[in-house]
Amino acid sequence: MTKTLFVLILFTALQTSAQQKHTISGTVRNKKTGESIIGATIKVLLTPEAITTNEYGFYSLTLPAGGYTLHVSHVGLNKLTKQISLDSNITTDLYLEEFTKELDEVVVRSINPGRSVTGTQMGVERLSIKEMKSIPQLFGERDPLKAIQLLPGIKSAGEGNSGIFVRGGAADQNLILLDEAPVYNASHLLGFFSTFNSDAIKDITVYKGGMPAQYGGRLSSVIDIRMNDGNNQDLSVSGGIGLISSKLNIEGPIQKDRSSFLLSGRTTYVDVFLKLSNDSSINSNALGFYDLNAKMNYTLGKKDRLFLSGYFGSDHLNAGGNFKLNWGNGTGTLRWNHIYNNRVFSNTSLIFSNYNYQIKVKNGANDVGIFSQIRDWNLKEEFQWNPGAAHKFRIGLNSIYHVLRPGDVTASGTSSFNNLIFQKRYSWENAAYFSDAWKLNEKFSLTYGARLSAFSILGKGDFYNIDNDGRITDTIRVADGKIYKTYFNLEPRLAVSYMLNNTSSVKASFVRNTQYLHLISNSTSANPTDKWVGSTNNIKPEISDQVSIGYYRDIADGKYELTAEAYYKSMQRQIDYRDGSDVTDPDALETQLLYGKGRAYGVEILMRKKSGRLTGWLSYTLSKTEKKINGINNNQWYNARQDRTHDIAIVGAYQLNKKWTVSANWIYYTGDAVSFPSGKYSVNNATYFYYTERNGYRMPTYHRLDVGATKLLKTRKRFSSELSFSLYNAYGRENAYTISFRDNKDDPTRTEAVQTALFRFVPSISYNFKF
Amino acid sequence: MPSTDFFLHALMEFLFTTFKNTGRLMLASLHIFSRSKKKSGYCSLNNLKKNYRLACGAFAFSCTLSSCTKVIDIGLNDADKKYVIEGIVTDQQGTCMVKITQSANFSSANNFPVVTGATVTVKDGNGTPVTLIETIAGTYQSAALSGVSGHTYTLSVTINGKLFNAVSAMPQRVNLDSLYIQELTGFGNSTKYANILFRDPPGKGNAYRFIQYKNNRQNKSIFILNDDFSDGRVITTFLADFGNDDDADKIESGNTVRVELQCVDAAIYKYWYGLEQGGTGSSNNATPGNPVSNISGGALGYFSAHTVQFKTVIAP
Repeated sequence: MTKTLFVLILFTALQTSAQQKHTISGTVRNKKTGESIIGATIKVLLTPEAITTNEYGFYSLTLPAGGYTLHVSHVGLNKLTKQISLDSNITTDLYLEEFTKELDEVVVRSINPGRSVTGTQMGVERLSIKEMKSIPQLFGERDPLKAIQLLPGIKSAGEGNSGIFVRGGAADQNLILLDEAPVYNASHLLGFFSTFNSDAIKDITVYKGGMPAQYGGRLSSVIDIRMNDGNNQDLSVSGGIGLISSKLNIEGPIQKDRSSFLLSGRTTYVDVFLKLSNDSSINSNALGFYDLNAKMNYTLGKKDRLFLSGYFGSDHLNAGGNFKLNWGNGTGTLRWNHIYNNRVFSNTSLIFSNYNYQIKVKNGANDVGIFSQIRDWNLKEEFQWNPGAAHKFRIGLNSIYHVLRPGDVTASGTSSFNNLIFQKRYSWENAAYFSDAWKLNEKFSLTYGARLSAFSILGKGDFYNIDNDGRITDTIRVADGKIYKTYFNLEPRLAVSYMLNNTSSVKASFVRNTQYLHLISNSTSANPTDKWVGSTNNIKPEISDQVSIGYYRDIADGKYELTAEAYYKSMQRQIDYRDGSDVTDPDALETQLLYGKGRAYGVEILMRKKSGRLTGWLSYTLSKTEKKINGINNNQWYNARQDRTHDIAIVGAYQLNKKWTVSANWIYYTGDAVSFPSGKYSVNNATYFYYTERNGYRMPTYHRLDVGATKLLKTRKRFSSELSFSLYNAYGRENAYTISFRDNKDDPTRTEAVQTALFRFVPSISYNFKF
Repeated sequence: MPSTDFFLHALMEFLFTTFKNTGRLMLASLHIFSRSKKKSGYCSLNNLKKNYRLACGAFAFSCTLSSCTKVIDIGLNDADKKYVIEGIVTDQQGTCMVKITQSANFSSANNFPVVTGATVTVKDGNGTPVTLIETIAGTYQSAALSGVSGHTYTLSVTINGKLFNAVSAMPQRVNLDSLYIQELTGFGNSTKYANILFRDPPGKGNAYRFIQYKNNRQNKSIFILNDDFSDGRVITTFLADFGNDDDADKIESGNTVRVELQCVDAAIYKYWYGLEQGGTGSSNNATPGNPVSNISGGALGYFSAHTVQFKTVIAP
């Protein structure tokens, strides 16, 4: 492998020196706000060359000397045509203008192509915030994590749940990044909302397969969310008032064209209602969240740019002072972009990430607090080298120091509990990667690369040898600062694409991913108290290998886009519980676990209409996900809990006139796999249920229609505002949220199955403004 | 986490699941207003109206959020019948009893067939097995046998030539020092609970099961506790099962409340824990399943050697 890479690099170097070439480079920006644009397309007319800007809006294009016409485009922005005469290296920023609202005719919107026919990248979904805003959602919240669940292969964990299952992976197998910082619990209000405030977000990209080598650490997906940089032209204020929460966003230049800031906050006000009560059993309760996104960027010169961004969010729940629960994420990212020359771009990031929760229980003599935390320090260094149009190299390093605090219990002297501090777990995760996007000829492209990852378990800590029955046979003491064990994994990444003609292509890819941190949860919904654990001597790193093939086609001059992908994923060292396991003691957690393998496969089809009055998409997923773990289901393959056969989403937005836009989405999926009883028996004079196979049943089919409308209100010179209406579950379908089994209350000699449905007909209204 | 303690665990489960299940999380406040209105006739909604014109609209809105619960038919499979053995040996004379029944299909009535004519013996350590006599159909008893803490008991059951075995060790007795009734208020509700107080002996490994009776009627909820987080402490804990909405179990003034404390071994704790987590038919657990039984041979149920102690209080 290494030899081949070396030859390839050498070959490239020789090739580039053979001809007189020059480079045009710079940043593509929004003219009005100065925001850099991620993924803007630059096409060189009359040549096959086409590139996209990187995650900082940077581009670099090397061509033989001569005159060219560039077409620069991005969703929601006017296309820019620029003539260049390339007789020496050029550095220039390219500015795209926004569609003007004053246009007489209805604005013809264009949707960002999520996946493109060209390029080797597959299994990627991109959603622009503009696109997301027209999707009607629960309580009118524009939640990016909920919106991406309407795309194929990305499944919701159910109503009121922030969990996401990508291509059969578990909820913890998604790497959720906010400005490169991992977010460990992306939910607010116990999962009804995500931690991402759409006002502060520029771009959201989901990799379901064929992950580029710069990403690693989770098996199933990468959800890469980038925050806005802040308007560096004018001060602008925007905000929204909704039923559940309100938000305010302020951004503006610190120095025009050079530096800017952004501050975006959001808060709920359910608490206000509670406080209005005179009854102390009511006004002593509280429930809500707030979050804050902040960012600053500074241009140090032509070659250097600094970004400082942060997120802080907090949820609180208080039941009459007897029970308090707080949880929240905090992240911070300091980044330095440096352009060495017009072909070499580098980025250095120092990233901090924190998640913690705190429980306080006060009842009679008991006064107990529990604190748990996961904290990362993370350093990334990456170089992007564009030696010529044929190659795009990336090489980088990543080093993360994790500290996991499973729980500190503090109890007052009269409490029933001891003060306990569970062992802190220290680990060091490192990775080095390399990739090259190589355009062999007009038809054939190849991206190859590899990621070498290493996970070192550090002291101080006790580790256990555990026998087949889950009993501790031996304790290994590891001293402070000592490395107990290091796991190494080489993760090859390979993708090829072949252009069938100008409008269609086929692609194939292989990716291996390794996951060193695991979430241990046994509840149906994601809880703030779910435990993250690092790999140990017993919990081995999870590994997945995924192959996928795809067909991509532009139809009717790019108005429509058709994508079909098929994948097969095999997963090793998957984790599940022993029967009757008690996972409350974090030190001895491993005695409760079993390990095995998994497999997932499926087909995803996406048909998209990208421009015109009507835009939207139709997505269909057919899939299967199974696990085989010795000790579960008689050692036979069984359906994973998230296994779902059919999944359909139809999403549409129609621009009626200058003022009104209406939208709707319809979701249909067949039931997830679930364990239901196959019998019952009596113990202790009560009825209990007898289970035979794991996840052998199906939940009922789910379907739902949401409709929405947005009215643009009178626009003054600088001030614009809009009213959004939405109706969630418009035909009031009672979808099964849970199914439980119990004795019939009126006739205790019978048992019955009871379905609970959540939301029916949830209307909402919100008002958004901008000036 | 001390969520092993059922108090914390139950409370958290209550908050996370009940709230989600009722689908009123977002407008918990209004949910409470509507409840307090029902209960006391006091309409706090009026207060709201004065202050906030939107309240009525919001209230109507919260109604649309109300969860809908309905009985459905999902055609569950039938499974082969299993024997269910419930065996106990306590430190009280004449309480050694083994009940044998069979499981039934979900759609059948809750009268579980008893198993008669089985051979049932209980052995104290390496002593001679004592044969239990079938006193009522399916119930086998021994008047002579009483257990001693520190001793290990072996149960053998033969049904139609099939042999089932179980071993259980009777732990040391821990004294139940006090039982009292306490009222707990939260989210607009005020409920009386039985509170117990006892001292856990030093050294990890103690496990307890409680049975609550109201006016001599047994509360079917499973109440268990171990000392993983409470070793050597004076433990005060209340018996609450938020999943139990049976009014017949609600404690009201004047009720006679009796609590039985059983000191059980680790395997039995695990059995009740597993049964409570996976066997109740509740939807909270992502992977419900059968509890790990200490009976070998493929029967459901348990064999528990435990100490017992009762306390009774009249609810104020």
